[in-house]
Amino acid sequence: MPGQAPVPVLRVRDLSVEFVTEEGVIRAVDRVSFDVLPNETLGIVGESGCGKTVTGLSILRLIPMPPGRIASGSIELNGRDLVPLPNREIEDIRGRDISMIFQEPMTALNPVFTIGSQMADVLCRHRDLTRRQAREVAAGLLAKVNIPEPASRLDDYPHQLSGGMRQRVMIAMALSCNPQLLIADEPTTALDVTTQAQVLQQISALQVEFRMAVILVTHDLGVVAETCKRAVVMYCGSIVEAGDVASLFSRPRHPYTAGLLASIPRLRAERLAELPVIPGRVPDLLNLPAGCRFADRCPRVQDRCRVERPPLAAADAGGRLVACHYPL
Amino acid sequence: MEILQYALRKLIGGLPLIIGVTLVSFALMVYFGPDQTYLLLGKNPTPEQILEVRQQLGYDQPFLQRYLGFLREIVTLDFGTASTGERVTELLAKTIPVSLILILPGFILGHVVGLLLALAAAYWRGRWLDKLIMAVAVTGMSVSFLIVIIGFQIVLSSSDGLDLFPVRGWNASSLASYLSYVTVPTLATMFVALGYETRFYRSIIVEEMSRDHVRTARAFGLPESRIFFRNILKNCLIPIITRIMFSIPQVAIGGALLIESYFGIPGIGKATYEAIITGDQPVLKAVVSLTAILFVLVVVLTDILYRAVDPRVTLK
Amino acid sequence: MSAVALPGVAPVRARGESLWRKASRKFARDRLGMVALGVVLIYFLAAVGVWLGWWAMGWPDLSGTKWEPVSGTHWFGTNIIGQDIFDRAIYSTATAFEVGLIVALAATGIGAVLGAFAGFFAGSWIDEVLVWLMGVLDAIPFYLFVAAVAYALTDNPWAMHLAMISTFWVGTGRLIRGEVIKLRGMEYVEAAHSIGVPEVVIIFRHILPNTSHILLVQASVMFVGAIKAEVILSFLGLGIKDGMSWGLMIDESTKEVLAGFYNNFLAASLLMFGLVMAFNAVADALQDALDPRKVG
Repeated sequence: MPGQAPVPVLRVRDLSVEFVTEEGVIRAVDRVSFDVLPNETLGIVGESGCGKTVTGLSILRLIPMPPGRIASGSIELNGRDLVPLPNREIEDIRGRDISMIFQEPMTALNPVFTIGSQMADVLCRHRDLTRRQAREVAAGLLAKVNIPEPASRLDDYPHQLSGGMRQRVMIAMALSCNPQLLIADEPTTALDVTTQAQVLQQISALQVEFRMAVILVTHDLGVVAETCKRAVVMYCGSIVEAGDVASLFSRPRHPYTAGLLASIPRLRAERLAELPVIPGRVPDLLNLPAGCRFADRCPRVQDRCRVERPPLAAADAGGRLVACHYPL
Repeated sequence: MEILQYALRKLIGGLPLIIGVTLVSFALMVYFGPDQTYLLLGKNPTPEQILEVRQQLGYDQPFLQRYLGFLREIVTLDFGTASTGERVTELLAKTIPVSLILILPGFILGHVVGLLLALAAAYWRGRWLDKLIMAVAVTGMSVSFLIVIIGFQIVLSSSDGLDLFPVRGWNASSLASYLSYVTVPTLATMFVALGYETRFYRSIIVEEMSRDHVRTARAFGLPESRIFFRNILKNCLIPIITRIMFSIPQVAIGGALLIESYFGIPGIGKATYEAIITGDQPVLKAVVSLTAILFVLVVVLTDILYRAVDPRVTLK
Repeated sequence: MSAVALPGVAPVRARGESLWRKASRKFARDRLGMVALGVVLIYFLAAVGVWLGWWAMGWPDLSGTKWEPVSGTHWFGTNIIGQDIFDRAIYSTATAFEVGLIVALAATGIGAVLGAFAGFFAGSWIDEVLVWLMGVLDAIPFYLFVAAVAYALTDNPWAMHLAMISTFWVGTGRLIRGEVIKLRGMEYVEAAHSIGVPEVVIIFRHILPNTSHILLVQASVMFVGAIKAEVILSFLGLGIKDGMSWGLMIDESTKEVLAGFYNNFLAASLLMFGLVMAFNAVADALQDALDPRKVG
């Protein structure tokens, strides 16, 4: 991203994450770079297995460290690189400076402790509060996420709440220590459509109020369109395209992005015989091809593509980046 | 109050089980069992004597009547007389306490040490300590209890071995004497139990460690040790309780039987074994009934304990 | 066993590879498991040799004098009445396999079928009866049950096997019941049901095969359990009646041991330990290989 006035909250440079398995070393994230500016929502989009979740988890070092490892790169939070920090300092950052919420609200909360107890755990960990004070703060936070009767909810157990409410509790917990960045990993995938809309709205409203940046990891292009200002498209471990959402969707430059957009079912003027799909399969991470990883599936593939991997480079002066030798 | 009502309801619900157990045991042991007539009569019985004894033993009655007679015995806790001449209830009163103090140390230590080892193995998962503990556990599991008993006896008690403890027998009149007699059996019980318990507890803990809510706790900055000892362990309580509670009936009769027979300890296990060998039906009937009742009690108690530790469980 | 699931990374599996094929590949890579399997096979060969009459047939012969030490003619020495311990130990291997295989296969079969029925019809009277039955069998002390069966069958040599099968199946039955309850809600079951496939066929063709990984592990656990139980039962006089087994050898050896002669005891114990340990290791490796969540 061009060096403009706002200093990025998070700056990821050349991040590579690998997993050592019996069958070989899998590089799930390959030299990924992006910035997150204050108060903005960045989307990380891609299909299952493209590395977007691992990217999100690595920021807070939440991947299991054997067999995983951060092979290279830097993750800078306000200029401070998180990668070389000892675990204890990362533990301080988790929940306080950067928070994360996950996909499955049903299982994300501990079933044998009350909501209040779990929220107090987080509050007392990072803020200098007694359990009783923490309880009051927690009640206030629950009210903020529009949970009815917040005070009595504190004594409920997770199984007594609905999926949507549980996700909102998670959001409340995530915001409890006023983080600068919220990473949301598929926060609405497990919810029904109506609840999805509510939760997304909640996140947007709170983002403004708490003045946070948000990274939204998802496979759902619709969610990205609604909530993100900029987005990064990942395929097979690396970024293939990045830019602001409006132009990304109206004028994709990478064939993969175009394929993704084309395959969304929607109302068209003429009826199609078949829904367009991207032919072929994602390459096996243990058996990656030389050259562009999308080559086998690309309708525009040329000889050069199979031999030389295209670097992520500026496509125009407007901030769009594409990794393609022959962008659209 | 609610708990008592619940307990009562569950106990009543356990009646079919008791009936089932007593019915099966009765059918196998008494009805199809050896004909005791000649055992009691000795040589050259006269036809009248035969008839008399058969009547006494109830062989001329139909199955249902005999079974109901058995049930009555259970309810009144009057099982008649053992072949040794004592009343069965006295025999039980004499032998059960011995078995209890014999088994208790091994049982408690087996589970406690097993749990501790499992905690260590799970916490340092994949490291050498884990592998070592699991290797020892598999070894413990692979040795027959009998072999362990004999082995320990040779090594610890015999003159070829360390000769530290008595080879057989029982004398609990003083603490020192109790400890002296109970040590080898306890060690043997622990050695075998550890293998199974450690592996089981470890797998429970490891499974809980992989749950989503652990990742959440980590994501909010809670330190690893705290996550392990607070968040994870509480979730393990139900399987742990289940395991401990349900090993009670097994240990009570099964384990005791072998140890007591081998070491010559006068507990309920030895009495049961002797009853099996001699075909002493009153004793067998008593033991089976008591075990069934114990089993049902364990089930009910376990249910109640669940409620105490897991908020998702409701008393219905 | 340091395997962990990878978040967000698709499991590495070649196209169209079934659980079993992948599991065999993983198992083949587990060195400890393969070595253990080799050991088990050696024991099995020993048993086969006995069944075919190739060796150890002289086990009841009084071929030596009392308590001979290890020698060229008697590899493990002789017991108190002069019988060759090595032959007896090898013959007992065959007995162990007999007991183990019969009990494991029968109990697994019964547990699978009854468990499947109970699970499929969960909540109905069939289920209630089967669960009650499982409870009853659990509640009867094992040794008493064996004794009772021995009585009822008037010392039939198969009494022990029957008693073991009748109690061992319960564990498998419970597991299968639980699994079937889970699988029953799957869509492919609904689909089969809706096109009119009879329930029995659904159970056996569609559901049970998906529990085969559980069944395999259970069978191996019961194999080991049967061998260990036989040792104790034979010692108590409730076990093997004709033939020779490690349990009977140990029973003999208890008196010998007090007199300082350990060969008989060691031969039976070590041989049994070897087979059980190896089999346990194989069962562990199998379980690891079949676990779809573990990678590496």
